[in-house]
Amino acid sequence: MRNRSLLFVFTVSCLLFGFFACKKATTDHNAVKESVLANNVFDLITATPELSSFRGLLMLSGYDRVLSSSKNFTVFAPTNKELENLDTAIIKNPLKLTLFVGNHISQQLYYSNSLSTPGRIQMMNGKYNNVASGKIEDAAITKADLYASNGVLHIVDRKVTALDNCWEYISNSINAPVKQRAYMLSLFQKVFDTSHAVIVGIDPNTGDPIYQAGTDSVFTNLFWNKVHDLRDEKKQYTIFLLQDAAWDAEVNKYKPFFATSNTDSTTKAASWAVVKDLSIEGSFPLTSIQDTVLSKFGTKVPVEKLSIVNTIKTSNGIVYIMGKVDVQPKHKFLETLVQAENYTASSVDRRGNTYFRDRFNTATSKDFRDVLVLGHGVALFNLRYQLPEMPTLKYKAYWVALNDFQTATFTQKLGIGAAASTTFGYTTVALNNYNEVYIGEFTLTQYQPQFNIYLTAANSTTAAVNPLVCDYIRLVPVL
Amino acid sequence: MKMLSVIKWTVFLQAIIFIAGCNKIFDIKPETQLDVTNAYQNVYDADAAVVGIYGKFMGLADRYIILNELRGDLLQYTDNADENLKQISTHSVSETNPYASPRPFYELIINCNDVLKHLKIMYAEKRINEQEFNQRYSDIGALRTFVYLQLGIHYGQVPYITSALENVDQAKEAALFPKLPFAILLDSLINFTAALPYKDIYPVGSNLNITVDGYPTEKFYVNKKVVLGDLYLWKGNYQKAAEWYRQVMEQATIGVQGETYYSQYKLGWAGGHNHYVTYSRAGDASTLVYNDGWRIIFEQPYGSNSLNREWVWVLPFDNKFKPENSLIKLFSPVNGSYLLKPSNEAIDKWNNETQRPAQGNSIPYDARGLFSWKEIGGKPVVMKFLYNYLNYSTNLPLNPLVKNGKWYLFRQTHLHMRYSEAANRAGKHRLAWGLLNSGLAGAYPSPGSDVTNYHNTLSESFPYNFDARNSGNTGVPFYRSDWYRNIGIRLRANVTDIVVPAADSLNTIENALIQEGALENAFEGTRWPDLLRVALRRNEPSFIADKIYSKALKDGVPNAAGIRARLMDPNNWYLPFKW
Repeated sequence: MRNRSLLFVFTVSCLLFGFFACKKATTDHNAVKESVLANNVFDLITATPELSSFRGLLMLSGYDRVLSSSKNFTVFAPTNKELENLDTAIIKNPLKLTLFVGNHISQQLYYSNSLSTPGRIQMMNGKYNNVASGKIEDAAITKADLYASNGVLHIVDRKVTALDNCWEYISNSINAPVKQRAYMLSLFQKVFDTSHAVIVGIDPNTGDPIYQAGTDSVFTNLFWNKVHDLRDEKKQYTIFLLQDAAWDAEVNKYKPFFATSNTDSTTKAASWAVVKDLSIEGSFPLTSIQDTVLSKFGTKVPVEKLSIVNTIKTSNGIVYIMGKVDVQPKHKFLETLVQAENYTASSVDRRGNTYFRDRFNTATSKDFRDVLVLGHGVALFNLRYQLPEMPTLKYKAYWVALNDFQTATFTQKLGIGAAASTTFGYTTVALNNYNEVYIGEFTLTQYQPQFNIYLTAANSTTAAVNPLVCDYIRLVPVL
Repeated sequence: MKMLSVIKWTVFLQAIIFIAGCNKIFDIKPETQLDVTNAYQNVYDADAAVVGIYGKFMGLADRYIILNELRGDLLQYTDNADENLKQISTHSVSETNPYASPRPFYELIINCNDVLKHLKIMYAEKRINEQEFNQRYSDIGALRTFVYLQLGIHYGQVPYITSALENVDQAKEAALFPKLPFAILLDSLINFTAALPYKDIYPVGSNLNITVDGYPTEKFYVNKKVVLGDLYLWKGNYQKAAEWYRQVMEQATIGVQGETYYSQYKLGWAGGHNHYVTYSRAGDASTLVYNDGWRIIFEQPYGSNSLNREWVWVLPFDNKFKPENSLIKLFSPVNGSYLLKPSNEAIDKWNNETQRPAQGNSIPYDARGLFSWKEIGGKPVVMKFLYNYLNYSTNLPLNPLVKNGKWYLFRQTHLHMRYSEAANRAGKHRLAWGLLNSGLAGAYPSPGSDVTNYHNTLSESFPYNFDARNSGNTGVPFYRSDWYRNIGIRLRANVTDIVVPAADSLNTIENALIQEGALENAFEGTRWPDLLRVALRRNEPSFIADKIYSKALKDGVPNAAGIRARLMDPNNWYLPFKW
């Protein structure tokens, strides 16, 4: 019996031991060991006396609740001393305040080791700030990586002001040159866009939808759509704004190339020709900008540093106010290369007689695709090519036309403005000629927003006489 | 004491009962698992074993493509690929490279050996009849030979194990299984395979040639005659090789003379399934036919005439059964890892061809390139294995989660080119040239309408005696011979004939055959063996080294010259054999 009671005691003690041991193990496993993780970022700011001003701004703007939530934040908090002389206009205007405070908070985690390489990080106000070697814009991090349960706090020695973006600068700043600004703001127009349209009915005659008034278009700026959307915070741009005298000089320089029936149209067209090359993608600060930059349209834009009157940093790039930007016409008006197989229309549907041929050019050692229309049976059959924005200029015309499909030569001509135009006569297409052939030159006396040229076949219905063949047509401005 | 002795006795008795009982306890047969002793009861079990072997064989698909193509000059690794794939491509393989391990091959071989052993036992115990035994034994035997040939190609010297082992580790006993040089291995394989009792495909309607899950199984199994042809071709016995290949070429020459009779494995044109490269209007390059013709060789379903007449050996990947389609992972940028891409060398090969003239001169590239690879999202993608997964025009998955596809192993162009390779080496240059270019009638044209003495090689003995006479509708006498529809590989692809100088037909035609292998059968898993075979035959290391050098150079792989230098030593043509 004694043995049995001993065994009982032993067993029970073992069980109890095991039980307690277990309990301890589980609590250990789940316990929060790091005390700082019990606090969120806002708690951390509250507990830091030198950030009390910033804390006040957070409370005022409502960001205190955001920073107490369970997302991940990076906060770049300026010290009290730096916020002493904050513009009262910011404090009094809730919009400006949100913009300002939001410019110090990011919704991603950035520890200091990831802030050493140059990059751009998105802030809560939608803008992007540059970071590099432990700095965010001009503000250096003095205390880094104070982490909390929902993010990380860096203390910085400067406030990070929320700048206007390029477009806001152009439209809002009183320092922006008046004439170019006025022109750019004049480019606003309503554009048909059904993405947000409300359909209120269907036209019984055409079957087209009827849109509720005011919903079928957007009010937008041509510059945003055709050149660069300067409002885009994700990208960076470098913009040149010409002072009024320089603007006038540049527009006047280009007016002769845009001869129309009235001066308003000419001014508008010339202004567009000037302004479209004054914006380039990418931020090029004064230290790294070259003396010539290439615009989106391939135009060489000279940048004389002596002509830079003012440099304005924006949230998405740089605005240079220029005393002069002298773009040469020969750089603006580039040659037009028309791929013959990409015709806009044909005079008669003859797709069944049209061959898009792949060939090897023995002269250039390159593959090319051309168009051949053979056996179409239509006298004066022609292909039309629509060219946009042709300035008032003299042009030289060339083509490559490969006659390798028959043993006889034939003729075709280039119609300028009309299929039957007599500007050029018929040109003989020689056998197996892979070289460019010079057709002649012609002059446009009026600016043509849309201009047609034609490849016209012989006035015959005989297959061997009336083929059309062309690789490309090249129009070179004579300047 | 008395108490204690009672306890003692009880314990003792219990122990005895327990031990005695053990025997029985552990001897209960598992109820849901099949024990090995019960696995081979009847012919259905034998069939299950055969299908099981092929299921396991399919697990080698990605390895087969990687070793046979990435080591060659047509396939290149992408930025996504790991160091191991780079090593394979640059011929600097370390012993730890998992792709270079022969172990998966030997696992399959050991399984084959096991099945062969049990088939013999079943036959001896009369559980299956002689015909059933012959068919299954020969099939698994030939598959094992195929795997050994692969091992020989990639490792040079390998142990030849034909006995049933419990597992692969036993095979590591070097003393029991010495490594055989490739030439000796070929002899052993020829002796074994030539003696297999049954060399045809499974008879139609037999258990293993039926339709399962919508798949006719006829094309699942290795073609024994092709394997024999390959063995003799590697060995250099060109007469024998040609004989075996020719037998496969004539597989459909039986029964009623219909479309299949004239076109299956004969590279003959056929109504609706001609597999041409065509333009809906000749000369208009924008009208290249995508939805019919050559491209659909890689898309048509099992059971279709198209697949049946083109393919000799093709296995299906289907999401309804294992294994998963490993080739989508290799090649597809859509829901795959995109590890491999066409090399610039391969792309250049297509671009350097010229098509047959139409509307003037020629289109300056081979359109098979447009079908074999294409750019998806700016990346060059090998498409041959993806046409059952990605739509050919939209590049979007037909169904993202249904990763169906096929493992394409062997088709009639492989067959004709290897036959031609053997025939060329046997001195039948014109015949080889004809099969490669514009077909038999193109090689032996008739000057008039009487084709009696033309369009044929009947003066030759088997296997070089072809009859392709076609008198046309008005010719007298009237001929429509067995091979009259043969059009040749290059005519089918609409590219111009190879011009052969009188001085050196042999090497020119052989080079052209290897070149054509790149244009016609790129990425299908035969490139490296083709290069290796010719390099070994000619004892010409530069044949391989220059091609791999060119691939590395054009793809910007570092130290291309170093790769060439390594490959100039034939010892470096083989992977390290490390279990």
